[in-house]
Amino acid sequence: MSEDFNNNKTIQAQSSETLTGGGGGGLTPDMDYVRPAEVTDQDLYHGHSFITKWVFCQDAKVIGVQYFLLATFTGVVGLILSWLMRLQLGFPGAAGFMTAEHYYQFVTMHGMIMVVYFLTALFLGGFGNYLIPLMVGARDMVFPYLNMVSFWSFFVAVAVLMASFFVPGGPTGAGWTLYPPQTILEGTPGSEYGILLMCLSLILFVAGFTMGGLNYLITVLQARTRGMTLMRMPLTVWGIFTATVLAMLAFPALLVGALMMSLDKVLGTSFFMPTILKAGEVLEYGGGSPILFQHLFWFFGHPEVYIVALPAFGIISDLISVHARKNIFGYRMMVWAIVGIGALSFFVWAHHMYVSGMNPWFGFFFATTTLIIAVPTAMKVYNWILTLWKGNIRMNTVMLWCLGFIVTFVNGGITGIFLGNVSVDVPLSDTYFVVAHFHMVMGIAPLMVIMGAIYHWFPLVAGRFLDEKLGKWHFWTTFLGAYSIYFPMHYLGFIGVPRRYFEMYDSPYMTSAVGMNEFISLAAFLVGAAQFILIYNIIKTLKTGKPAGKNPWKANSLEWLTPTVPPEHGNWGDRLPVVHRWPYDFSVPGAKEDYITQTTPPSEVVNTGVEKT
Amino acid sequence: MSDPKIDGLELKPGFKGMAEDTGSDQTMFKGVHWGKAMMWIFLLSDTFIFSCFLISYMKGRGSTPVEWPNPSEVFALDAFGVPVPLLLIAIMTFVLITSSGTMALAVKYGYEKNRKMCGWLVLATAIGGLTFVGMQAFEWSKLIHEGVRPWENPFGAAQFGSFFFMITGFHGTHVSIGVIFLFIYAYKVFAGHYDDQKRGWFTSMKGDYVEIEILGLYWHFVDLVWVFIFAFFYLW
Amino acid sequence: MHPGIIFFLVILGSILFHIFTPWYWTDVASNWGGMDDTITLTFWIGGGVFVAVCLFMVYCVFKFSYKEDRKADYQPEDKKLEKILTWATTIGVVALLAPGLVIWNNYVNVPKNAIEVDVMAWQWGWQYRLPGEDGKLGTTQVVNVTDDNPFGINLDDPYGKDDVMIQSDILNLENNKPVKILLRSVDVLHNWYVPQFRAKMDAVPGIVTYYWFEPNKTGEFEVLCVEYCGVGHYAMRGGVIVQDKQDYSKWLNEQETFSDLIAKQQKINTDKTKLAKK
Repeated sequence: MSEDFNNNKTIQAQSSETLTGGGGGGLTPDMDYVRPAEVTDQDLYHGHSFITKWVFCQDAKVIGVQYFLLATFTGVVGLILSWLMRLQLGFPGAAGFMTAEHYYQFVTMHGMIMVVYFLTALFLGGFGNYLIPLMVGARDMVFPYLNMVSFWSFFVAVAVLMASFFVPGGPTGAGWTLYPPQTILEGTPGSEYGILLMCLSLILFVAGFTMGGLNYLITVLQARTRGMTLMRMPLTVWGIFTATVLAMLAFPALLVGALMMSLDKVLGTSFFMPTILKAGEVLEYGGGSPILFQHLFWFFGHPEVYIVALPAFGIISDLISVHARKNIFGYRMMVWAIVGIGALSFFVWAHHMYVSGMNPWFGFFFATTTLIIAVPTAMKVYNWILTLWKGNIRMNTVMLWCLGFIVTFVNGGITGIFLGNVSVDVPLSDTYFVVAHFHMVMGIAPLMVIMGAIYHWFPLVAGRFLDEKLGKWHFWTTFLGAYSIYFPMHYLGFIGVPRRYFEMYDSPYMTSAVGMNEFISLAAFLVGAAQFILIYNIIKTLKTGKPAGKNPWKANSLEWLTPTVPPEHGNWGDRLPVVHRWPYDFSVPGAKEDYITQTTPPSEVVNTGVEKT
Repeated sequence: MSDPKIDGLELKPGFKGMAEDTGSDQTMFKGVHWGKAMMWIFLLSDTFIFSCFLISYMKGRGSTPVEWPNPSEVFALDAFGVPVPLLLIAIMTFVLITSSGTMALAVKYGYEKNRKMCGWLVLATAIGGLTFVGMQAFEWSKLIHEGVRPWENPFGAAQFGSFFFMITGFHGTHVSIGVIFLFIYAYKVFAGHYDDQKRGWFTSMKGDYVEIEILGLYWHFVDLVWVFIFAFFYLW
Repeated sequence: MHPGIIFFLVILGSILFHIFTPWYWTDVASNWGGMDDTITLTFWIGGGVFVAVCLFMVYCVFKFSYKEDRKADYQPEDKKLEKILTWATTIGVVALLAPGLVIWNNYVNVPKNAIEVDVMAWQWGWQYRLPGEDGKLGTTQVVNVTDDNPFGINLDDPYGKDDVMIQSDILNLENNKPVKILLRSVDVLHNWYVPQFRAKMDAVPGIVTYYWFEPNKTGEFEVLCVEYCGVGHYAMRGGVIVQDKQDYSKWLNEQETFSDLIAKQQKINTDKTKLAKK
């Protein structure tokens, strides 16, 4: 990897150099040299009381866990909603209270919760907060106070969202895309108060996220430790970093859309509202454009997909590399793929709108950009499996989740090519094919990553291993169950079954799918229930699990190299770590162990085949 | 902590220098205070918010079937019995741009540790901002008096009122927040918090004159946005 | 059991499911068979990649399972391999995109001889309007819609007078004759979709959207609303009957035109006034 600094010789001369091959001739006194610190050590506020230590806490690690727990809580709510939906779809009428209104409210809340309040908050708020400072060798996030406010904004956002279950009319049932005009008109459940609380909650979420996002970005850009160049960061950090950049630029569109929608509802403006005839009467709206909202929503909505996917890409790369005992294949390609996917994701949003009635000529442009994204994404997949090639693969629970991720992600990625290709999308859009596609690619695949990450980093957070046997049960039920939910579901879409149907009565091609719907529902109940294995596992092993000790997976990256496990506030004790290499020096020929940590100075590994990074 | 000076680090100019900084360890923007970098990125995000507003405005203006009112008539002000187009708005813009100038001077004196000058100039900026908000309130009340509402508009398309109140309101909120912080910072300068590195009430971080520059960035941004809003609403 | 075996069975199961599935698309009944062909092509290329990637993964899992005494290979990158894979993927993507764009080009360019059909949607139902002898549809406005003027036709538009009005959710179409569906909605988003015709487009209030197809099988088909439009969405159905020319002309002649409707209304009104006078 010697071309990294081709065009900047000075810095290269100053940063650490490692020897290639066993020459040994380059052994000079300053081979471990790292440039002096540029930034004074961070000034941290240490909490003293229970409240400042655990509630209004400024330690990014605690904030990460707080984010994690709250996101998981909303995720469980989303899971229960999905059970209720599947109950209705598989066994219509089995739940006596279920009306069409309820069904649509559950669909909407399930979608919004899972995408925004569960996955986004978990990956960026949870993993981002916990891992970024540790992985780049910082004491904490750069603005700990702002970080704390970020979490509590998220808390209020969730509280407002949950409150919408209890207002008259219930939560909004407009579908998670919240398309006007129906969102704020009678005939859609929750069009009175539910939608307002939804908009308010989203605005709070965006505000809170902006505060967190600024932290993540500046920590990565300006608070890395000595020797930590951008190209030595673990891919996890790259993924979360790029996702945060996307979020900072995409959430504004959501904010503006939500604000304009609220004004349409409360003040009676007509941003998105054309002349509307309702129950024989012309409403007091006129002249607005419903498609404008769709553009705003998807300008947020498509990057949002990658806000969830990019951290998952990053994390999975690290997990695979550590547990295959092999460096990630094509690191630089991986970094540029993450950055490239992130950049391209701003030019593809209208592929959600091929049949929305927008100018059809857009279809050509957006189909092309969409399929271009397939190339870097495919490269990432190749690099994951090439990392396995000639590795030394530990078949533990973490690796199982990684393999499960590869299968589900490739499956969902391929069906994405169907939907991105404009004329293929025409018969499939708004059918169950779409539902199956996005659940596979941004529901199940990121979930696999989250689970793998939990099994991987739990020893760091709690100091104990999770139970492997329970973990394997958890994995196989989740993976096989989820695959048998979503793989057959694509075929419902081929038949032509539309999504967002409360009941599928009477139609010939729908009645033929009754058996499959029952099967899918049963599998969904099982998969949902299997997640409680994890909760049981965590509770059980928190006290009685096998102690992990330092660096139990023999990983290289900095988060495992703290003086205490779990790391304390300030992370590094007296001295910040000094980084000499990338985090993927596994199985280096000539080295004693099969891993060389990032902090190992070159003088300790002379005569090994380390490549310069 | 003002912008840290790094011993022995010479920043190279141009693209090459940028590539070099990017490839180096520790920081990407060499010698840039964390808070300053944060403000820049926040402003980038905020730019997207205002862009979304203005693009929505263009789309909304383009797709409404009713005619858009003529800005030079709607925004005209009677001066000595003669309707002068854009009179108020010209004064508003002048005041806001001037306040950007005083802000820039405040930053300069802040770095020179000239507590008094810095404090007065921050205060002057705050008063300029307050004047702007006051004139905007006057303009709003004038339009409301003439019957313009977010949901209707006697001069033409209803969307005119919707977009006008929403976007100038959103911008006005930005200015108001800035004014509040300017007053707080003026107090902090006069009280010597930045000279004594007194810890902040909320964040418990040490005070430093760089905070004036960070607030200045925000203030200049708000001015810049106003120029766009001015062009889109009053000149189009 | 080695985990690799289970992963292998999952892949095998997916292939077998695809081959033997009883759930597959309905027979195409329009000119859009090309969409099916593109889907099939995507299935071959995409499915091939899926199977290849997964099988390679399974192979690695078997072959390179952890052994204490073995060390993994150390090779940070392989420029040549990466280049080959990038280009191969690019070629695959182009092969998929090209036919897709060609069909889309047909989709947005409506043939000149297509009959225009005005499909009007509301919560929750459909009705249709066909041009009369002049071959042109009259212009409409939402605010004109009343019981007497169910389509909101502008009364001063001469083209509107002979428009054929079908106040039912079932539309008859002539076989092998292209139709341009003009969609409009008076309230919220809808989408007029017949799975056998493959084509669809949203109806958006405030604007008129369109798409076209040419039915090529006679028979009865079900129309579904596929854009979520409120609680009645799932029940918003309609029908299409595709007929041969003879049957179609017969049906068309039985339908009421707008002027018929106006005349009828006037008659009722005069009858009413007469009654009142008596």
